[in-house]
Amino acid sequence: MSLRVWFVALAHSPLGQFMQNSRWGFAAVEAVHLLALTLLGGSVLVLDLRLLGLILRRESPRVLNRDLSRVLLSSLAILVLTGIALVSEEALKCYNNAAFRWKMALLAAAVLFYFTLYRRVVLSLGSAATLTSRVTAVISLSLWLGVGVAGRAIGLI
Amino acid sequence: MPLLQHICQVIYDSQIGTSIRESEYLFSIIESVHVLAITLLVGTIAVLDLRMLGVVLRDVSVTRIARAVLPLTWSGFGVMFVSGLLLFWAEAAKNYTNPAFRIKLVLLALVGLNPLIFHTTVYRRVQEWETARFSPWRARAAAFASLTLWCGIIVAGRAIAYF
Repeated sequence: MSLRVWFVALAHSPLGQFMQNSRWGFAAVEAVHLLALTLLGGSVLVLDLRLLGLILRRESPRVLNRDLSRVLLSSLAILVLTGIALVSEEALKCYNNAAFRWKMALLAAAVLFYFTLYRRVVLSLGSAATLTSRVTAVISLSLWLGVGVAGRAIGLI
Repeated sequence: MPLLQHICQVIYDSQIGTSIRESEYLFSIIESVHVLAITLLVGTIAVLDLRMLGVVLRDVSVTRIARAVLPLTWSGFGVMFVSGLLLFWAEAAKNYTNPAFRIKLVLLALVGLNPLIFHTTVYRRVQEWETARFSPWRARAAAFASLTLWCGIIVAGRAIAYF
């Protein structure tokens, strides 16, 4: 069964119907998506700059991660939920959109990376940044930036 | 035509404004930079605001977070200011009559006023409360105002395209 079926089902779901017929629904949900993106970006940025050894060098990465990951994951949850609503408004357009496919692939990579290698590096890092922590930060920043750029491109191509 | 509107029209008709507006990619590229740099400007100041509200990083002193975060916030402001100015250059005449744009400018003025008040009052005695898990109510009020205003600015900014 192709993935396309799921996009068709989403478009025909009550959520999809609401999003397609509502005058301000899309704009409102998109605004929330943007606000959550801001928080996600801020927490990723602070954590990654810490792994690069550029800021908060005296604070333990473990403590920073404990608190900021809460911000990161709750914004991610809001982004995913509002994202589904946004897709439901133009599901097939997204399905066929190259930027959307890139965004989903990069998002999957970023989330997978965060829960595996990234977490391991953060939890084992002492106070000084290492080559491993720097490389990890660069990969994380690139993946999340890629998600953002691809996301912005969905509406442009 | 009011003077301000006349000036906006002159900016709109200028060569630079016209070339950004009529270029196939330029406006979209500048707009994308403007959108993504929100994380650098607002995303970083939000971490400081959330710390003062006692939501995150209660064990880290407020001044340390401020020192780490504010240079990022200011560089974000630089990117936002330049890209925003270029977007305005291309759309000045349309922006002038756009209600969302007007609201955004008012909110920007207010969000600039907020740290001015904050730094000349409660932040002067920050040594007394920087390690407290919850900041004094004036600092919390400033943090809350900052978060609320920035949310409003982002929403109003996005709404410009809908009018």
